[in-house]
This record gives sequence, structure tokens and C-alpha cells, in this order.
Amino acid sequence: MKNYVIRRLLQIIPVFLGILFILFFIIDKAPGSIVSNIMDPTMTPELKAALLEKLDPNLPFYQKFWNWLVQAAHGNFGYSSKHFKPVIDVIGENIGVTFALSLTALIIAMLIGIPAGIISATKQYSAIDNFLTVFSLLGLALPTFFAGLLMLKVFAVELKWFPTFGFISSTNINADFWTKLGDHAYHLILPACVLGLAETASFMRYTRSSMLEVIRSDYIRTARAKGLSEKVVIYKHAFRNAMIPIVTLLGFRIPGLISGALMTETIFSLPGVGKLSVEAVNNRNYPLLIGINAMLTLATLFATLIADILYAAVDPRIKYD
Amino acid sequence: MNKKLFVTALSSLLAVSALAGCSGGGSSTPTPDAGSSTPAATAEAGGGEASTTPQVLRFGCSGYDIVLNPILSSNVYDGWANDLMFQGLTKTNSSGEYIEGDITDSIELSEDKLTYTFTLKDNVTFSDGSPMTADDVVFTYMTMKDPDYTGPRAGVAATYDSVEKIDDTHVAFHMVAASPANLQNFTYGVLSKAHYEYSSMEEFEAKNNDPMGTGPFKLESAQAKQYINLVKNENYWDAANAPKLDGVQFLEVSEEALLPALQNKEIDFAQPAAKLENVEAVEEMADTHLVSYLANGYTFMCFNTTRPTLEDVKVRQALVYALDRRNFLLAEYGSNELVALGMCPISKTSWAYPGDDELNAYEYDLDKAASMLDEAGWKDTDGDGVRDKDGVKLSLDWLVYPEATWPGTLSGMAFDSWKQIGVELNIKTLDFNTVAETAMDAAPGEKDFDIYTMGFSLSADPDPTGGLFDYDAYSAGGYNASGFYDERSQELIKLGLAEFDQDKRAEIYKEWAIRQNELLPTLIVAYRSEIWAINNNVHGLDDIGVYTSWTDLIKDVTMD
Repeated sequence: MKNYVIRRLLQIIPVFLGILFILFFIIDKAPGSIVSNIMDPTMTPELKAALLEKLDPNLPFYQKFWNWLVQAAHGNFGYSSKHFKPVIDVIGENIGVTFALSLTALIIAMLIGIPAGIISATKQYSAIDNFLTVFSLLGLALPTFFAGLLMLKVFAVELKWFPTFGFISSTNINADFWTKLGDHAYHLILPACVLGLAETASFMRYTRSSMLEVIRSDYIRTARAKGLSEKVVIYKHAFRNAMIPIVTLLGFRIPGLISGALMTETIFSLPGVGKLSVEAVNNRNYPLLIGINAMLTLATLFATLIADILYAAVDPRIKYD
Repeated sequence: MNKKLFVTALSSLLAVSALAGCSGGGSSTPTPDAGSSTPAATAEAGGGEASTTPQVLRFGCSGYDIVLNPILSSNVYDGWANDLMFQGLTKTNSSGEYIEGDITDSIELSEDKLTYTFTLKDNVTFSDGSPMTADDVVFTYMTMKDPDYTGPRAGVAATYDSVEKIDDTHVAFHMVAASPANLQNFTYGVLSKAHYEYSSMEEFEAKNNDPMGTGPFKLESAQAKQYINLVKNENYWDAANAPKLDGVQFLEVSEEALLPALQNKEIDFAQPAAKLENVEAVEEMADTHLVSYLANGYTFMCFNTTRPTLEDVKVRQALVYALDRRNFLLAEYGSNELVALGMCPISKTSWAYPGDDELNAYEYDLDKAASMLDEAGWKDTDGDGVRDKDGVKLSLDWLVYPEATWPGTLSGMAFDSWKQIGVELNIKTLDFNTVAETAMDAAPGEKDFDIYTMGFSLSADPDPTGGLFDYDAYSAGGYNASGFYDERSQELIKLGLAEFDQDKRAEIYKEWAIRQNELLPTLIVAYRSEIWAINNNVHGLDDIGVYTSWTDLIKDVTMD
């Protein structure tokens, strides 16, 4: 196990460098530059060229790649000239809300999706199974922007149960920590439900199919034959084994916690990495774009490693050496 | 999305106008509440009743960058927050002329028109109570000339050679060239030298979190993409013009949530997109009213006149005759009240606008368009439905960006109506930055498009130098992509900058605008309106206009 983890950690390095190299290559080939959308007649071509040279010196992309690595090794992950701040600060300002939103959505999805999947599987083809199946297909099919606008209209505008925008009420900007925390939670409920909707559905589908497979296996029949109660059979014997594919699914969801959710962030006026990345592309703010992608790449690589390790933990048949 | 794009495309020349409130002539009464921790509303706050709840005005919009420094910010929304915290040497009046700013007593122009000497008011202080002097002005304007400066004002900095302190209240700007448009370079808020002095540009930029100017408000706190919270500057030097509000909040609200937030009274006013659906939604709200006016800007459609298909003015005119722009305006904006048909490169709001009678509106006329193409020698000789001439087909590439909806609508309508007169149109959708690169950044001869569309905001001064219609800007990185040369037009642009009398200047620009309207290197598609939705409990904002930003009105704003 220890050797396996070390080997996997070492593998992360070349994969990470390779992905970054490709990223620098793509950016080099992309049209437009950070000064292309300056629309100001006093900015003559000479002034724009001088500005571009200061912000993004004309170097071959592998040179830029190397410079970035050297700087990153010294803890400098670039400077966002659009925000006049280091990239790491810009990401830092946005990642908190993204993380809180995605984590809440993930928890909602698991709390609803997994039990619903189990019920669906144990009562296959019953009325409740059909209902949940339709519901989950709807959840998967409904585009986030539509679901978001709908919930905004119903729960915020008509019923006025929730605020229409933001992460904090304007009156609570200077409130104490606990008031603010409560206010943040209040602002997150609606967007987290919207974001969690599609995920709930996918958790439910995975749980259902995995559970169905397990229920039909020999050891479940054996357990039933031993005279164990249905509850024990389902929740003790079947459920644990059915969870194995869910762990993998969870592993893949971890990078999603920090990659942001563009549509949800946009509709509910939340700051977040999703909007930030799109802005970085539109403005050709390459230092920021590279910073965000480097972070996401690392998160994805580590998340898959953790998923693999967890896999071994929940499934005794899997042994790494 | 539309709004956001407009911001990025915004010419920074658009006045980062200083605060209104013509000072009462330099009275130096100290603010009574200075130092007290609760800025309780005093008698001036309302009809005698001292209300206990602070009066905070909440503005909602989407797209703050939160760059709280007047010489670094290039975003209109940030610009408004900066307007409330900083004051410049000049500002625009309600007719778009540049006049003395709040901190300036007088401006003197030398005989050779190359040196502006500003006399500063002697009682101006920063929000920490320290006096503002000529040193602060010199510091602010020399920072823009720092070789490490990467902000958006390099073009402004290039208009003056040096800034000279004469004494504490007198400062002289030595300009590179004489120009009647020079006063627009001095609108940027003055920074406190003591507060902002830096050893590296990053240190200077880090002060964006802690701005300090002479304006009536100061920063309390800000959160990226969430809010900017301004509170009353208790040390405000101009006591006679001190605002009655206790604070102003800029809240990030998505386009989708703007009107709902207004309806739920989570914000007090907003600037929704000028479309009929928004107007109707606001009119349905019980406690909200609308303010609208024609904005200083236009949307345009640029023809690449270096292409054999578009080099003939008859072809360009025919294409415009074959474009039902009135219908387009109705389809896109829903109402003729929210938009005006584009006529010429001078805004309808400008003192230099020639008047509709002098200009050709190119009313939709397919027959006329077809006969003009015939006259120009473009005929369908091979029977494929597309006109041709000397082996070249009349087939055009139009670059459209999806960040705004109107280029798609307009090009879609052109596709249909041009087809009827035998013109083939290929609509190419690219992102805004790529369109800008293809049309502007590329060198002459490599500009790979026939038509592209975009929207610009304009500065209050109508000088077209360096812009869409100036042949000198036809270069790699220049803003003229049409490549059209007309000797008289270039002459007029130069004459306009040599004339300091506004009436005579207006005549020059009128002749120029009429020429452009006829020669059509670039068609002005529309002049758009701006609309504001304001809650009825806010008083004093209804005079928002094209050259009067709401920040100019702030001193008289009260709330129920």
C-alpha cells in the first residue's frame, strides 16, 4: 500500500507537467491578447504594444512554461494585471464561496440521492421506483439555468423565502462572525439546491443500479437464507458493497468542489471560480487562467489518487502492492 | 452579458467624471460630526425628524472588478465608486463641456495653448484630514507616466510632457500638443501622495484595498464580486455640499436577478438593459419609476473597404439601403423609444451633431439597393443567384460576437434581405476578443473580414482622432479597420483640433460627419438609450442624464 501511494504520487509529477505544457501550448496558439479588448482611441498601437510587452512579453511558449515553473517553485503563481493583484489572491477571494456552494450541493445530493437510490432498488418497478426514476431523469435533463431561474422566481420573488442575489445581505456586511455565517448559509440554500438537483439524480441512478446488482448476488441470497431480517440484509450486507462504485463517483466529484459552477454562480450572483475562469478566458488573462487550471489539475490528480485508496479501504478484494 | 461586454469595450475616455456639487466658494467650515462614531442624520438629513436608521443607498449591477483607484480602473461601475471617493481637476457639465472640477478654482491656458495652469482650492483635504496640495496632483499624474505603470491611462499620460508644481495651490501641465480636447485628460481623481507613495508598482496597486481621496465618501469594506461598501467621509472638506446619505453600497446582482431584487427592495436602483421587456417590468412595479435618455455612444458596422467587393461606395450604400434597420431596432429593443436610428459618427447628444435633416437615414429600399448594385457593375452573370464582377463574387464575411445579442439579430436580418438582392453573406461567430484581434490588431492587408460589428461609448469631446474613422489609426493595433482614405476627412479631423472656439469646431465636425454618412466606410447602426429603475423612496436621482452621472447628483439624494 505504501509503495503504491508513493508510486502514484511520483506519477502525478509528469502528468501535471504534461498537462501544463499542453495548456501553455494552447494559450500560445489562441487568438487575441490581453490588450485586444482595450477600446480607447488614446491608446495608440505603440502604447498598446508597449503595454503588451510589459504584461505578456513575447517569448516562445516553452520559455514561458519554464519561467512559470521557476516562479512557482519560489511561491509566485503569477500576477493578474486585470485585478492588479497576485493570481493566488484573486483565486483565494473566489474559492471560498465556490467550495461552500459545491460542498453543500454535494451533501444535499448524497443525503437525498443515496437513500432514494436504495429505496428505488429494493422496491424495483413499484410506484415509488417509477416516481423516483422520472424525478431523477427530470433532474438530469433540466438545464441548470432553467431550474435556477425557476427556483429564483418561485422561492425568492413570489414567496420571498430567500434573497434574490448574493452571499450576504447588505445590512449584515459589518455583522459579527456568527450572524454572517448564518446569513451565508441562508443565501446558499437556493443555489445549493439547484446545483444539487442534477447531482442528486446521478447519485440516485448510480446507487440504484449498483444496489440492484448486489441484491441479486449469491451472498445476499445466503444472508436471507440464514434468516436475517430484510433490514439487516439490505443495510448491513448489501449497502456496504453497493457503496463501492459510489466512492469512485465521489472521488471524481472532489475537483468539482473547487472548479465552480458557472450557471449557478451567474444566476444567483455569487462570486466563484466558474465565473472567474470564463472572465479570464474572455479577457485573455493568461496568468489567472494558468493559475486556475494548475490548481484544478492538481486537485483532479489528487482526488483520483484518494478515490483509488478509498477503493481499497471499502473493497477488501482490492489490494495494492 | 450585454452590459458586461459594453464595459470592456468602453472607451476609458468616457468621463470618469468628478463629483458634482459646485462648491459654495471655498467655505472652510469643519464638518460638525467629524470624529464621532455614529454619523447620525442631523437636521439637514430631512424634514426635521432625526431618523435613527442610517440612510444607505444601494445600487445593484453585475460586473465590478473592484479596482478602487481612479488611475487604474477601467470599469464604469468601479468608476462610479471611485467618483464618490475621488475628485478630479476637471469634470463635464450637463451639456458635455469640460469645466473646473470640484477641487479646482480656475484653469488658465497659456498663449501657445500648451500649458494649463490649475489653481486649486486651498481648503481641500483627503479623507484622513490631511490637506491636498499641488504635490498630490503631480504625484497622481506622474504615476501614470511611471515606466512600470500598466493601468489603462497610458494614452492620457502620453498627452502631457510634465507636471510642474508652482506652489501649493498652483500646478502646471505642459502638453505635448495643443488641443481643445485636452481638458478631458484631467478628470481623474487626485490621489494622496502621502498615502500612495510607493517603492514598487505592486505596492501602489495593493493600495486598491485602501483608497484615499478627497471625495464625500470613503471605503468601509469591499469583497470581490460581492459588494463595495462606502460610508460618508466625516472629514469632507466641502461642508456646504456634504451628502445627506450615510453610505452608498454597490452590490453585485446578476442581470437575471436585477429586477426581482428591485421589486423585493433588496436594492434601491439599477440600470437594466434598455429593452422593452425591462421597461414593462419596471412599469408594473408599484414603487419604482423609470428614467431614460439617449446615451453618448453608438453601435457600428465596419466595412473593410480594401476588399474589391466593398471598395465602391455604391456597394456599401446599397448594402445599407437593403438593411431594414428600423425593423431591426424594433426586433432587438422592442421599442423605438429606447433607441435611435444611427446616422453619423457624432453622437446625437453632442454639440457637434449636424441634425437629422443634413444626413441620409438610408431608409429600407430593396429596389434602390438592387439598381445601385447594377449601376456599380455587380451583376449575376453565371446565374447562381449571387452577383459578381470581374470574376469576384459579391460574397461577404461578417464577424459576429455572441457576448451581445444585437450583432446576431442584425446579421441574421441582413442575411435574408441581402440574399434578395443577390448578395451572399457568411456569418462567422467568434468571441469578442478574437473579433477585436482580427479587425484591429492585425496589420493592414491581413485584416481578415469584410464586415464586423461592435458598440462603443464615446467621450464627451467629439474629436475622432485615433478612432474608427481616422485613417492614421489604420494600422496593426489601431482602431480603424475599414482602411478607407478620404483626404478632406483627414483634413477636417486636424482642423477640428486646431480650432479652440466651440461653435467653429462644431461646424468642422458637422461637415466631417456628413461626409462619413455619405461615404460610409463604417455605418453607425444605432444610438442606444440607457434606462434606470429607481425606487420611489429615493429622491434626487431623476436628473440622471447623458453627461450627468448619478454620482454627480449624490449630494442632494435623500431617502424616505
